[in-house]
Amino acid sequence: MAQKQAAKKTDKSMALPSKRSPAGKTAKSRSVLPQALWRKIGANYLLTNDSGHYAWLKEKDFALVTAGKMTERDPLFGELAAKGFVRNRLDFNDLASKWKKKNSYLYYGPSLHILVLTLRCNHKCLYCQSAAGGAGAKHTDMTAEIARKSVDLAFNSPNPAITIEFQGGEPLLNWEVLKSAAAYARKKAKITGKELQLALVSNFSLMNAEKAEFLLRHEVSICTSLDGPRALHDKNRVCASGSSYADTVKWIKYFQARHEKQVPEYRVFKPSALLTVSRYSLRSHKEIVDEYVRLGLEDIFIRPLAPIGYAKRLWDTIGYDAKDFAAFYFKSLDYILKLNKRGVVIKEKMAAMMLDKIVNFRDPGYLDARCPCGAAIGQLAYNYNGDIYTCDEGRMVGWEGDDLFRIGNVFKDGYKKLMTCPTTKVCVVSSNLEAQPACARCAYKPYCGVCPVYNYETQGSLWGNMPANDRCGLFKGIFDALFTLLRDPGKAAILKKWVAK
Amino acid sequence: MKKQANKTISIRVSLKDRNLDAVRYAAYAVSDAAYVFVRSAGKGAVTVEFTPKNGSPAKDLSRRFQEELADEKIRAAIFDSNRDLREFMILKALAYEETPAAAKSDDSGLTPEQESELDALIAQVESEIKKESTGGKTKDPLGITRTWEEKYGAKTSRKKN
Repeated sequence: MAQKQAAKKTDKSMALPSKRSPAGKTAKSRSVLPQALWRKIGANYLLTNDSGHYAWLKEKDFALVTAGKMTERDPLFGELAAKGFVRNRLDFNDLASKWKKKNSYLYYGPSLHILVLTLRCNHKCLYCQSAAGGAGAKHTDMTAEIARKSVDLAFNSPNPAITIEFQGGEPLLNWEVLKSAAAYARKKAKITGKELQLALVSNFSLMNAEKAEFLLRHEVSICTSLDGPRALHDKNRVCASGSSYADTVKWIKYFQARHEKQVPEYRVFKPSALLTVSRYSLRSHKEIVDEYVRLGLEDIFIRPLAPIGYAKRLWDTIGYDAKDFAAFYFKSLDYILKLNKRGVVIKEKMAAMMLDKIVNFRDPGYLDARCPCGAAIGQLAYNYNGDIYTCDEGRMVGWEGDDLFRIGNVFKDGYKKLMTCPTTKVCVVSSNLEAQPACARCAYKPYCGVCPVYNYETQGSLWGNMPANDRCGLFKGIFDALFTLLRDPGKAAILKKWVAK
Repeated sequence: MKKQANKTISIRVSLKDRNLDAVRYAAYAVSDAAYVFVRSAGKGAVTVEFTPKNGSPAKDLSRRFQEELADEKIRAAIFDSNRDLREFMILKALAYEETPAAAKSDDSGLTPEQESELDALIAQVESEIKKESTGGKTKDPLGITRTWEEKYGAKTSRKKN
């Protein structure tokens, strides 16, 4: 039935274009797969295509399909035809609409605008990627004028929905500028009619009731870092003035309580937390997940460490390889699924974002895993001094003395110049997966993305070398885990529920 | 056709049924474990030399390369047969617009005066139907048949902008 419908939908206007290739083999080429990518996992092959459809094949079926010998009588034929894996049964409208939906970000400008309000920080996290300076480095505070200029530039993006994220260092150390920038952005949104989200990433150590009230009234969503139970969190996130964990937990509970007690004047968002996995975390997957559950957090974002910033210097102590992370990730995910089965509400955010692409053919807005990557065309990072970088990671490289990823300054450069400058272009070209020999052949290409900054930092070139690239290994591990779990009907049902909106 | 000299292994690959690109891509796929040099080996063949990195076993390298080479042959066949098709599909996807719901035609063929006359007539008929169905009296004191918007006005967003 499915195949009949697929064939029917392929109307005359969608007729196949003439072939350019080694000629005259029409009959043979019709039976060949159309565009397809594959990966052998265990004894089976995972088959994917540009639109994001996937299918599992046994080795013998894979041989039949690739040799063009699978017949219509084969039980798999219908499924493969409906998913765009049979050349003369392509439903062009379905494939085109899915491709477009999944790559919808290509039609808008940068949505995420990161304002680095200060480099000062009262923490000394082992893996810091924010170029944090000491609490006395006041010369690294963004001025109100630079903040306004940054907001103005953010609003120049053609994207109808923008997010302005206040970051640092610890952004609460530059509270007055945060306040004025937030209020200014809200006014600007009213005038322009753009949808605006404000977000704060803070360690909460300087949070108080007055600040919390302002943030809530201005509908600023709140995000913090939580690395697990007290001992682990405080080991990763060193705070001279005491326990980082105590402040984090106190304010998570506060914002949770405020979220539950909504008021009519404004929306109160649920607070969220980010987990950064260091080597110290690898043996504590259960304890970490339990900590999130205990605090009522419904999302846990298991993020790998990147050898950038302080983490690069301490890599031998706190780093790990892709295999170690993949094992940790799989164990964590498995445990989260077990908790879900028992009725506990918690989901892993990385998995949810990837699943949104795999299951729903949707763009979840994850700038790190898209093609091309989000550098400049998806996000901009505004440094405290008004310099603009392709992304926050690019800004970090700048702090280390290499301004390769600096694309302008809020006082000198306009939106058009930022988008057309050579650095932006080279980031787009180098993160285009079609131009990456290994990625262009990878089954995970429809859902994945590379990071030119990571490649530059770890392999000395924007293109990098994917077969030897640990980030590539990490993502492959995550995708392997997800696709394997999706084969189990019980686990697949839970995973699909995470992205059923 | 393998030779082992020091730690370097060489594999001779015929180009009779595959092109040089297929060999290069297959060699690139194992570049995590070895430094690779592709050299000409006379007419219609190349020699691929692998020098293992970090003591990767030579046997594994050879096996992985052969597997990649086999995959590359399939990929090349698929790519050759589908290049135009794929370009067509991507172009179609880039230009794809969801078909909008049947839009109201602007061109009714009526003058503005005729349009307003027609609107008045429709309103009159609608009001007559309403009267008939309610017998002239309101049988819906709780307003159950009225829409949310009729009762409370249009929905306003609580979202801040």
